[in-house]
Amino acid sequence: MKVRLTMIAAALTALVAVGCGSSSNKTSSSAGTSSAAAASSSSGASSKSCKATIAIEGPFTGPVAQVGLEQLHFAQLAVADDNKANGTNVNLVQDDTQLTPSLATQKTQSILSSGAVATVGPAGSQEVEAVGPLFGRAGMAFISGSATLPALTTDGKNPTFLRVVPNDNIQGPQDANYVINHLHPKAVLIVDDDEAYSQGLVKTMTPVFQKAGVKVDHETINGTDTGATLANAINSLVTSKLQPDETVTMLPWQAAANAQQFGLAAQQQHKKTILFGTDGTNSPSQFKIPGSYVSNFGPDISSSSRPLDKQIVAGVAKYGPYGSFGIPTYAATDVEMKAIAAVCKSGQTPSRSNVLAQIKKTNIPPAQNPLAVTIAFKSNGDLVGQPGYLFKIGSDGKYTEIPPK
Amino acid sequence: MHELIQTIINGLTTGFLYALIALGYTMVYGVLQLLNFAHGDVYMIGAYIGYFVLGWFGGPQHVSIPVPLLVAIMFLIAGLGCGVLGVGIERFAYRPLRNAPRIAPLITALGVSFILENSMLLLFGGFTKSYNTESFISQTAGIHIDGAVIDPVQITIFVVSIVMMWGLMQIVDRTTLGKSMRAVASDREAAEMLGIKVDRVISYTFFIGSAMAGVAGVMSGLAFNQFSATIGFLAGLKAFTAAVVGGIGSIPGAMIGGLFIGLCEAFASTYISTKYTDLIVFGILIVTMLVRPRGIFGRPALQKV
Repeated sequence: MKVRLTMIAAALTALVAVGCGSSSNKTSSSAGTSSAAAASSSSGASSKSCKATIAIEGPFTGPVAQVGLEQLHFAQLAVADDNKANGTNVNLVQDDTQLTPSLATQKTQSILSSGAVATVGPAGSQEVEAVGPLFGRAGMAFISGSATLPALTTDGKNPTFLRVVPNDNIQGPQDANYVINHLHPKAVLIVDDDEAYSQGLVKTMTPVFQKAGVKVDHETINGTDTGATLANAINSLVTSKLQPDETVTMLPWQAAANAQQFGLAAQQQHKKTILFGTDGTNSPSQFKIPGSYVSNFGPDISSSSRPLDKQIVAGVAKYGPYGSFGIPTYAATDVEMKAIAAVCKSGQTPSRSNVLAQIKKTNIPPAQNPLAVTIAFKSNGDLVGQPGYLFKIGSDGKYTEIPPK
Repeated sequence: MHELIQTIINGLTTGFLYALIALGYTMVYGVLQLLNFAHGDVYMIGAYIGYFVLGWFGGPQHVSIPVPLLVAIMFLIAGLGCGVLGVGIERFAYRPLRNAPRIAPLITALGVSFILENSMLLLFGGFTKSYNTESFISQTAGIHIDGAVIDPVQITIFVVSIVMMWGLMQIVDRTTLGKSMRAVASDREAAEMLGIKVDRVISYTFFIGSAMAGVAGVMSGLAFNQFSATIGFLAGLKAFTAAVVGGIGSIPGAMIGGLFIGLCEAFASTYISTKYTDLIVFGILIVTMLVRPRGIFGRPALQKV
């Protein structure tokens, strides 16, 4: 009797362990299961021998969920498209980081103990700082479509990090020069949100403004605040820090809704200033103050006639009104998918080391990717091409692409 | 000068919201000696209810009824909905633990808070949602005082909050229900022996407190535009601070405490730095606990000898 009970207990324990083990490798929400199913089912004619798993880290919940989910849906589309085109059977698992380094670290450890061979993301520079060494020790490539802090590829701490977007040394001066040459302010207010991404951009913009003789007023808010606390902070900034001669306000923020709130507070208090948001604020459904500008690393492909662009637009249409924030993530995922396909084609089984090696050899011509620049990487992981796009928000709240210089 | 006036206006706006939430904390503490940490999430749910009511009437771009009527209906439905939610929470999460050690309902309250927040995340996603108030209420109209502006939404918040607080004081001071609430707060057992239906009084208390938090949630959506499932936690903590500073268990204390905390936040943001706002607010909580633990309006605890 005792032996039988022991055996039953052991069997139950084994069942629970198997169940927990499989669920910890699965996605953190039901959407992930459906994305994996979609990725597999869309590769109806795929070679079953080229199997692999990649992961995506992003802020799928929290204050910047809008952009996180945009990245996720573009990544899911890229997996489906590439599985179909390359005959692979790659599964995408998702991990929600809420743009916080501590959560990103937990999710990374979970990814590293799974069978994933590469990762897309994370989205935020502060997250890359936290997880870069972990990925590096494991020899796993991780490609971000939005982390732009220059030090990520120059400090040597993230040896397996790559990105398909230019760093702040490109975006910051580009945006600042546009403001100087086209908006001619005597003074600007720059507000950072106390995160690495934001502070990095401030560091690159400020010298450009100062060199052009533009007075710079630099303020900070806590970008992780929400609700009444955030509103109080923004209202107070507008009340006390936004001076009449600061005709342009730079908002290098990661939350488009916060930029919208700033603009509304300025309107409510009758303060006239032109808002200039960076790629983190690029969200047509959330930031739509007329007369504002928003920069980004992805073009507006909604009216493009290129077959690839039309395919992408059709593929993400069901998810809602997206801007161009997700396009670099599509490109990042595409890089990993193509690398896995190349590894399989050479007769190898995809592993972290051979996928990383293949990714470093990536050379996708402009016509074959939505960024419309050559996707190739420097030895430090930076993108060789330097895409930069600028949008102006019209009186109807719509984004119109304009020349960035 | 306009900076000072605008700062006061900004502070009063958030202060009234904190006061409305703090009233729920203080009323529940008064009758049950329970810190209902789920209360901030009731406020969050109020914001969602208001958002859906706005959608029922055409959404921000195509409002199908006069705006004052729309806002009144949003307040009413959010208040009723959150009131019922509060009664439900008390009935199923706290009442079974009425005679348990004090730590048990406190932990349950934290659990309910997480359940509410994560339920909303699962049901409605992690997107920040927006009332798009500027589409149906002018942001530039309002009262102008020496360059400072009180916009229509802020005026609505001030007026409705004052009316609700006055109404609550009338209920507590002049009605049988209010007398019963005070009796239960003073001595629950004695109140029961005198024939007061304690369970019903506690349910009414939860209803009123939660309804006020629900209305505060709608006000928050109108004033700040954006909301999400995570706005309740910090707002609840700030309101709890307000209730403690004002005197936990004291209704006037909760009102004054809420306004005080809102103004402290605004002045700290404007004249010191936005980075130190939370530090200052929670520092006030600690100082209050050290220097005057019963709060501004709290009464010292009586001890039988």
